[in-house]
Amino acid sequence: MISAFERLMNHAVLVVISFIVVFPVGWFLLTSLSPNTAGTIDLAHLTWSNFTTAWQAGDFGQAMTASAVITIGAVLGQMVTAILAGYGFSVLGVAGEKIIFPVILFGLMISSEVFIIPLYYEMRQIGLTDSWLGLILIQIGMGVPFGTFWMRATFRAVPRSLIEAAQMDGARSWRVLWAILFPIARPSVLTLALLSFMWTWNDYFLSLVFISDPAKQPATLALGVFQGLHVSQVNLLAAGSLIVALPVLLLYVFFQRHFIQGVINGALRE
Amino acid sequence: MFYGAVVIAPVFQSVNYSFYDWNGVTAARWVGVQNYVSFFTDPALSAALGHVLVLVVFFAVLPIVLGLISAGLLGRGRVTGAAVYRWLLFLPQVLTTVVVAVIWKRIYGPDGPLNEALRAVGLGHLAVNWLGDFTWALPALGLIGTWSGLGFCMVLFVAGVSAIPNELYEAARIDGCGAVAEFFHITLPGLRGQLAVALTLTITSALRAFDLVWITTQGGPGTATTTPALLLYQKAFENPNVGQAAAIGVVMALMCLAIALIITRSVEAKD
Repeated sequence: MISAFERLMNHAVLVVISFIVVFPVGWFLLTSLSPNTAGTIDLAHLTWSNFTTAWQAGDFGQAMTASAVITIGAVLGQMVTAILAGYGFSVLGVAGEKIIFPVILFGLMISSEVFIIPLYYEMRQIGLTDSWLGLILIQIGMGVPFGTFWMRATFRAVPRSLIEAAQMDGARSWRVLWAILFPIARPSVLTLALLSFMWTWNDYFLSLVFISDPAKQPATLALGVFQGLHVSQVNLLAAGSLIVALPVLLLYVFFQRHFIQGVINGALRE
Repeated sequence: MFYGAVVIAPVFQSVNYSFYDWNGVTAARWVGVQNYVSFFTDPALSAALGHVLVLVVFFAVLPIVLGLISAGLLGRGRVTGAAVYRWLLFLPQVLTTVVVAVIWKRIYGPDGPLNEALRAVGLGHLAVNWLGDFTWALPALGLIGTWSGLGFCMVLFVAGVSAIPNELYEAARIDGCGAVAEFFHITLPGLRGQLAVALTLTITSALRAFDLVWITTQGGPGTATTTPALLLYQKAFENPNVGQAAAIGVVMALMCLAIALIITRSVEAKD
């Protein structure tokens, strides 16, 4: 039984911590609507034009396009590789699985810093630095360990008898994947797609290393440059930040369960 | 195949690079293990590793301890509006680090809200440019990590607590356990798996800190907030000493592996 006191206490703890966590973000949200460059909060004069001003001053149109292309390309590529590899490792069986799967798992544990330098020189040699395609390919490659791992676990949870029954009915392996496994795995596929969207969109380090041409930089890099140039215009700074954060925030509003469970389950299974 | 080309092959090349002295343009020169020896001899490198230890306190220890305390304070009943709290607490996890960095850079700024608040309560003499101060820059940076990790740890631990069977708590109550004893005897052991995950993720994030540092302080003032990842970037791309940078990358990867293995082993050993 929970007493009224306990219930009150629960809310008190949660409110205090939520406030600490949300306050900086909420304060920044109001700052982005401030009429003056010092960013003082003035609810009577909400200045929505900060967003258009920041959009133009930071050239965010171009940067957001770059981010969109890179993210969509990377997510699509990651989904295809993850589903196929997960299917291969869970249902079909792969020659040399005992060696290949641990090698893929190894990728979950090492940090990208260890391969980024040779990768940079390699990509430069084949002309894929300063290129969206190059960054997409790198993101797809780096997404392989988590995606394979995630989809393998998902497909393994599907009852074996279901797959066998379909095979007895003469379904070929493509049909088993698309007609049987995929519909069951759809929520899990959506979670993976959302996580990979978030990770690609929010990336800063890889873009910093591989993209130096200002005309091709994604939104996170553009914001990095923008904040250096507009240190004293706090209201524009806040507006620019919100523009860059918005796509992921919107997805988070609609799919919060997927995000939270995805991150936590993904972390726990590792 | 593709994964092999992007991830696995460069890992081996990195190890190879790390034995050379190369500026990225002219011919490389074999220097053996010298790039690794400099972890002990180069003050810039050992300082960066020292900063990581401070960051671990802020990125890992603080959010985990605070997360545990708050998870312990929360009763085991369902709280109305749990989904809303969870949404709010998890928010920093979905914000890109660049935005987090911009927000906090402003908060810590010379005329930012933190200093304004200090002046408002008559503590104006304490106001400094937090991120530009030799003493305060590193802890200030660390607190940003605490802020973004706290909600994650809490959501993780609260989920873990709700998975502990109720009978254990009932048995403890019958044995006359107080709330504190209950926490140490049942809640804490029950969260072992979650603790391992939280420790691994937060410690490696302290070790790998780059985006946040790069945007807020660039390692400064002086070298007060350098991290290994920052040195790696500078040595690889700004002022090339590619062999040394590769050695930093290899050491970071080994440390990440070691951290993950040690934590997983110690959890399994207790099971």
